[in-house]
Amino acid sequence: MSLLELKKGTIAVIHRLNGGKGISARMSGLGLYEGKRIRVISTAPFSGPLMVEDLSSGARIMIGRGIASRVEVTVEAESK
Amino acid sequence: MKLSRNELVIALVGQPNCGKSTIFNAASGFRVNTGNFAGTTVTYTETKVSLGGRVIRLIDLPGMYSISSHDIAQKVARDYLLSGRVDVIINVLDTSLMARSLELTIQLIEMRIPMVLALNMFDEAQKKGLEVDLERIKALTGVAAYPVVAVEGLGVKELFDAALQVSQQEFSPVVPTYDRDVEECITDIAGRYPATLNKTLSINERFIIIRLLEMDEDFEDVVQRVDREFMEYVLEKRRLLAEAHNWPESGVFASHRHAIVLDLFEEVSRVTSRSGTDIREQIDRFLINPIGGLVAIVALLFFMFSAAFFMGEIISGLIEEPLDALGLRLTGMASGMTHVVVSGLFDGFVAGVGIVLPYLVPLLILLALLEDSGLLPRIAFMLDGLLHRFGLHGESVVPIILGYGCNVPAIMATRSLEQERDRILTMLVIPFIACSARSVVILALAGKYLGAAYTTAIYLGNIVIALAVSFALSRLKIDVAPGVIMDVPPLRRPYLHIVTNKVWWRLREFLTFAWPVIVISSIVLAFFSFIGIDRVINSFIAPITTGILRLPEETGITLFLGIFRKELTLLMLNQALDTSNISAVLSHVQILVLVVFTVLYIPCVAVITTLWKEGGWKVALYSIGLNTVVSLAVAGGIASVAGLF
Repeated sequence: MSLLELKKGTIAVIHRLNGGKGISARMSGLGLYEGKRIRVISTAPFSGPLMVEDLSSGARIMIGRGIASRVEVTVEAESK
Repeated sequence: MKLSRNELVIALVGQPNCGKSTIFNAASGFRVNTGNFAGTTVTYTETKVSLGGRVIRLIDLPGMYSISSHDIAQKVARDYLLSGRVDVIINVLDTSLMARSLELTIQLIEMRIPMVLALNMFDEAQKKGLEVDLERIKALTGVAAYPVVAVEGLGVKELFDAALQVSQQEFSPVVPTYDRDVEECITDIAGRYPATLNKTLSINERFIIIRLLEMDEDFEDVVQRVDREFMEYVLEKRRLLAEAHNWPESGVFASHRHAIVLDLFEEVSRVTSRSGTDIREQIDRFLINPIGGLVAIVALLFFMFSAAFFMGEIISGLIEEPLDALGLRLTGMASGMTHVVVSGLFDGFVAGVGIVLPYLVPLLILLALLEDSGLLPRIAFMLDGLLHRFGLHGESVVPIILGYGCNVPAIMATRSLEQERDRILTMLVIPFIACSARSVVILALAGKYLGAAYTTAIYLGNIVIALAVSFALSRLKIDVAPGVIMDVPPLRRPYLHIVTNKVWWRLREFLTFAWPVIVISSIVLAFFSFIGIDRVINSFIAPITTGILRLPEETGITLFLGIFRKELTLLMLNQALDTSNISAVLSHVQILVLVVFTVLYIPCVAVITTLWKEGGWKVALYSIGLNTVVSLAVAGGIASVAGLF
């Protein structure tokens, strides 16, 4: 399942970054790498980016849809 | 190898938006800009401070998430670090994001440059329920850590004392140890490490070997050039290591480091429950909600510009009469050439106090609040989807909004865009954005004579044109923008002393540079009209002014002067048309055309110079051409259409 498919509020674990070296380096710089637990907290209008919270640090990162579609995740808990 | 010198070089290093510049300012007085978003600092600044009887060269570097650089700003920071010029690193961490910040810390430790840790935003971390054990950090890393709240100046003195102290002692950090086979691999490579490489890269071997094993291309290039055989050996080792771990080659070290960092984080910190829901959190929940956020942004921007207009009106209304009276008395006293100089000098002076400052000050205050609050990344979040359709994306929003203040720093801010394509595109769009100088023109002409509806229409039209330009340009070069990955810092309360310093700092630029230019131009214009040269220039530009724009010929010289400073067009208008009531001389359509043209045509000299420096002469020329064509088409179009009725 890709990050893009997650509903708002869903908690998931990053399983794999498929974006190539550049993108995975940028993602892990921001603390998003394999094994990290994240939660989708909002999606922007006009098919805009997703806002994701890194549950271990509380950091919030926006991720464009193109990139989000290349992030494989495993769902841990559905949205409340 | 370092030359012996008396000066001690201390560099502030850390991830973006952790407060390096705020610490820099706290130590040296307000010298560099700060803001609550990643990428406020894109180039390094240095200053001299004296500390404990020693002269220290303090360097503020752009933020970097890790040692591997992805954009020009991060590259600046990393190259400086690798240059061997740094004696002490102050590694600044956003304590509230400690788990992430430590990633860079671990890499810096591997460089073995004497270092201290500044745990900035310590108060925010405490509010978040994070307890940090400073002693434990020192024990596990060998690096001393100090709590800092840079915005309030807390802990800064102690931090610098510690930095000074660490420069005088032997520095023995605890360099992280990786798995056994990784360590064996490092040892093997170290056994063949060519001595020639030590001359090229004056950083310790282990650090460089790890960079190579991490597939850091910049290092690979250097090593390849110095010793090809050695590089091939490293590549072979790297491949074997990746195979053994069943990881992609680039990921072996990263994943190890993540594990080390998380262990360290857990060892040195304890998360207790956070105290209640934050009001900021509730505001934020509304702001990042798709509908609420959009409404809030539109309302906010509308409020900002109308507030600037009303405050400007009130202030200029208050000072107009006394200034006029003074002007009459002064100019009445002189005659002939003296009269020319006195009236020119006075008009220029009045233009600064009476017209620019009343609008400029409120605009600068509001923009400073926008920068410090953390609203910029949220606006970027909201607008990214929309911008994507026009070939831009969210990361361009921050530089573009900064452009409403001044286009020059906005163009500099594109350094934090990773893709060259996005960077050039954003650079070409920025000169269309109505900077504060042009806002003064809009507010003082359109706001005053045409009313709120037209003023809003001009701002909105300006955005539409900028988007259209971006759309057209992005079609010319069909690359797909890969999309945004951007940090969204928490909302933060702007601090009065920081906002005041920032506004004063920018205002000083106006007072010491722009105002003198205005006064001199004013004298020159008075002198020109005294001897009649203005008519020569006016008739030269007449094909544009009277032909395309249908404006009086006298406006020619004011538009010409506008290339130097955009405010000049407005200020010189009174002088050129010989009235302070523009609407008596120009029709409403003409005022509209003049404003639209001023907003869009050739960027000012400072912007052109910056474009040249940042993007090369081609980008600068392209920008001049683009703005000329678009401004003539739009303003000329309005004039022709209005002429039909």
